[in-house]
Amino acid sequence: MAKPAVRLTLIELVLALGAVLVVGRAAQLQLIDGATWRAEADRVRKETLVLAARRGGIYDRNGVALALTQEYFEVGVAPNELRDRSEDVPAIAAALGMPVSRVAAEVRTRKWIGYRGPFSGFQVRPLRGMHGVHIDGHFARHYPAGSLARGVIGALSADSARGVSGVEVALDSTLTGVPGLAVVLKDRAGRRYASPARNEREPAAGRDVYLTIDAELQEIAERAMDDAITEYQASGGDVVVLDPSTGELLALASRQTVDGTVITNKASFFTDPFQPGSTAKLFTAAALLARHRVDSTDAVFAENGVWEMSVTSRGDTRIIHDAHKSTGDLTLAQAIQVSSNIAMAKFSQRLTALEQFEALRDFGFGSPTGVEYPSESRGGLRPPEKWDGYSKASIAMGYEFLVTPIQLAAAYASIANDGILLTPSLVREVRDPSGRVLYRHQPEPVRRAVPSVVAARLRAYLGSVVAEGGTAEGAQLRDYSLIGKTGTAVRNEGGVYKAGTYTASFAAIFPANDPQLVMIVKVDNPGGVRVYGGQTAAPITKNMLEEALAARTSAIDRRRLSERRPDAPAVGPRSGIAPVDVASHDQIVSLPLPTDSGESKGQSLVPNVAGTTLRRAANALHRRGFRVALRGAGTVLRTTPAAGESERYGTVVTVWAE
Amino acid sequence: MVWLLVFLAVAVVIQSRQASAIATSRRLGQLEEQRGALEAEKAALERTIRLASSRRELGARAAQLGLHFPQDSEFTNFRLPAER
Repeated sequence: MAKPAVRLTLIELVLALGAVLVVGRAAQLQLIDGATWRAEADRVRKETLVLAARRGGIYDRNGVALALTQEYFEVGVAPNELRDRSEDVPAIAAALGMPVSRVAAEVRTRKWIGYRGPFSGFQVRPLRGMHGVHIDGHFARHYPAGSLARGVIGALSADSARGVSGVEVALDSTLTGVPGLAVVLKDRAGRRYASPARNEREPAAGRDVYLTIDAELQEIAERAMDDAITEYQASGGDVVVLDPSTGELLALASRQTVDGTVITNKASFFTDPFQPGSTAKLFTAAALLARHRVDSTDAVFAENGVWEMSVTSRGDTRIIHDAHKSTGDLTLAQAIQVSSNIAMAKFSQRLTALEQFEALRDFGFGSPTGVEYPSESRGGLRPPEKWDGYSKASIAMGYEFLVTPIQLAAAYASIANDGILLTPSLVREVRDPSGRVLYRHQPEPVRRAVPSVVAARLRAYLGSVVAEGGTAEGAQLRDYSLIGKTGTAVRNEGGVYKAGTYTASFAAIFPANDPQLVMIVKVDNPGGVRVYGGQTAAPITKNMLEEALAARTSAIDRRRLSERRPDAPAVGPRSGIAPVDVASHDQIVSLPLPTDSGESKGQSLVPNVAGTTLRRAANALHRRGFRVALRGAGTVLRTTPAAGESERYGTVVTVWAE
Repeated sequence: MVWLLVFLAVAVVIQSRQASAIATSRRLGQLEEQRGALEAEKAALERTIRLASSRRELGARAAQLGLHFPQDSEFTNFRLPAER
């Protein structure tokens, strides 16, 4: 037995060794393995959540919401966790709009019930805090205007995270926000603690996109297409409405019938090329005028409506027919007016293939227009070395090349715009969530397609088409001047021209003296007795314009419509409407109104009209040179663009009232 | 003893601030939910109004009543009257 002193020393040594081991282990845990254990502790106690960012909205040019992102909810019910089924089941059924009997049966028989909905926040509100009810939220797209302009807007992926078609995909990075991050504490059971400082990074919402589309005009265009399918037994069609001075697309409608079902969300105006027929005669006429190959007195014999044209040196011939049989000679203007294939075929021989090709290229055919859309067709225009002896005549008649409705609209817009071809645009503005403008569309000239004097001459030719003796004389408005060109092309399906099937079209410029709108109306395969462009597409255009003129749409600047057609009949009583005695209104003032001071060149500041009446607001805005769109009634709340912003004269300011 | 009292006082202050922050956070969450719910309701109502006042809807009803969209000669664009 050792001495007590030795035993004590031994015990002290053992204790000291133990202490060293404890300290050593602690040092190992905290200093050497500290980071690993801290991470493990965080993993158990904390959870990092990704906070979804709201996707930016899509609006029309006046701020009418077309696509918005909202939070929607799914509801899960754990029957075992419900505290009082007799009270909870009716409450759940009422909130979700379901029969009580169905919910009760499911609660009795199942361990977990998932109601995918989607349910709005308003619907699930009464269920919040109810034991056994689990609510999960997610963002989803909401379309306040229904199916309006869906072909343009496009669609999102199933999880609503990214765009898969249309503007949604073209501007995906602009519309998509930046997700936020949050860290929450959990207990051992995995339940999350509420924490006042849990968000490490707030989610940033995406930017809002304001399209150039005018909702009112878009609705008129879509309705016109629906009516066309019914009235003309057509298989589909397209409408494009464009502002020729800016290139902004105001309305785009498409209808296609597949197996008896009408498809409304296709963007065929961008993607589906067609042979334009006689609407393209104007471009060969432009080439002839620009190169001085024709003067106003030049005329060719119209062959009484049938001409056998020699197309090769071997003596091969092609027979060309005119729907409108003409006797005698036709000038270029008359050839356009009566849409003579024979005269255009003869005139086209005065151009070389390269000249005709270059003229069409100058109008933008054969190239995508560059509109902000993800899938645009370039149409089809073969290089001149691939043309044969008939091609010049055929192309002059609108065959052997393909155009999209948007290309045709842009080309006609250049004629309305004194010969300058502009890039068509679909995006008017991009704004951040606070409303600050990040991008605003400015007209983008591509090139001069024809000299100004030639454009004016072509517009005069178009005027003759809707005048007496023209192919669209029934399309003329009574009081305001519409000009345009009809087209009726035999359809080519699978490389074969199918007799008796047509694409009817009408390209219009309105009004003639100061163009504000270019309209392309195309009717596919009209099935009734009326198949020509002048019988189908032209009346549709006229009806659309009449509706637009009578509507509240701001797409038409009525101040610039003040001049009536010189040949218009005087306004008189008709259909029971009393004549208006303008002279008796002593308060009428001339427009444009004198402008206020404080303006920069061509621009003006949007005045603050919040809190005033609509009348005062409209007057104040008109005085600054703006056009006005009204939303709501009563006291003015705000304007879009906001007060204080500098805008160009003629900009539409939307006034939002209570 | 004084140190113990100081410690207790500080602990009470921290605890009450924490509890108040959590309550505020919870209230904030509830208000955000409420706002979301009301926004959803507003959007649903706006959609209903938009669809009910659409040309498609009104045009059909007008046609039933024997009305039609006016031709261009059946309306007059008035010029803006000056303020009195």
